[in-house]
Amino acid sequence: MEPRSPAERIAGAVAVAADSLVGPGDWLDGAQRRRAWVEARDARTNELDNARRQAISPNAVAGGHEGNDELAAAAMEVVHRVASDPGRLSRSWADSMIEVLGDAVYTELVGITATAAALDMFAWATSGADLEIGAAVAGKAAQVRPDDVGDIGAWVPQTIGGVRANVSRSLSLVPATNIAWIGLVDALYSRGADFVDLSWTRALSRPQVELVAARTTAELECFY
Amino acid sequence: MLLRASGEKNGLDVDLEVAMDATRDGDAGVPDGVELLAFASAANHRSAELAGARDRLRLAVGDEGVLEAAATVAIFNGLVRVADGTGIQLDPSMLTGTAEDRDRLGIEQFAGAANSAGAPTEARHEASGVSALFA
Repeated sequence: MEPRSPAERIAGAVAVAADSLVGPGDWLDGAQRRRAWVEARDARTNELDNARRQAISPNAVAGGHEGNDELAAAAMEVVHRVASDPGRLSRSWADSMIEVLGDAVYTELVGITATAAALDMFAWATSGADLEIGAAVAGKAAQVRPDDVGDIGAWVPQTIGGVRANVSRSLSLVPATNIAWIGLVDALYSRGADFVDLSWTRALSRPQVELVAARTTAELECFY
Repeated sequence: MLLRASGEKNGLDVDLEVAMDATRDGDAGVPDGVELLAFASAANHRSAELAGARDRLRLAVGDEGVLEAAATVAIFNGLVRVADGTGIQLDPSMLTGTAEDRDRLGIEQFAGAANSAGAPTEARHEASGVSALFA
């Protein structure tokens, strides 16, 4: 079989990730995950999110997002804050959300929002349009909490031991969400063993790719 | 960190300040850097300039280059949310190896810096090359 082209690999991973966002996940069902994707997209233009973004501190703006049939108010807050203003999240805010939602649901919502942000940005950057969000798929969430997670200094438990970079185990508390996310990272950026090659031969050189990455992380004020 | 390391590996004198600061002009020392940076910023800001920036980038790096640039902007829009949303710390070798750059570039002012205050600084394992950056 012919090796798949980069375009085919990316299209395949995008489709898998998009399907994962409307199907059952770790602790949330397909309707809840789909609603989280819709809300992550809404955060671009949402009045409350815009007011928070423009304030000197997001906590300076009164009010909050209301719950609905699919997502509790705290879940709505997580999705909207992570989507709209990720550079100003704080541990105290995360702790308050985790106290209500639990660490696994919190982490799953972060993973959904991040995956949605990547999918929507890819569609926008390539075509100027949004990806179509599919219908929710029925089914039961996996409800599996890994045994090998613990405190490694992050806000949520992650895989302990081993030699993995912290960013590569960020969503390890929620394996179903993590699988789709890691697949997307691999197709869009790291490409397996290529990741350690600083002189790879692709359409863009490694410094060109890292230049785009550096500008993006700076504009989103990401410390990591 | 990977921009600096890959630049050095490829014999480039990368200007990190231009790379990270959209108010600065220039290619940051990277081939087609002007077009790549304009495309990345237009995408990140969902600017009306995106279509033009994409066309200019296509002339410079071709269709597949545009695809890779779009893929990179996209995945880092996700990666920053995963990192900031889960509050991960910098890996020990990154924490010690980028301190000067973080201070010079103002990265220490980002809110996420608080997550790595007091984080371990001793490398967790022996490694070389790219892997050593995350040890």
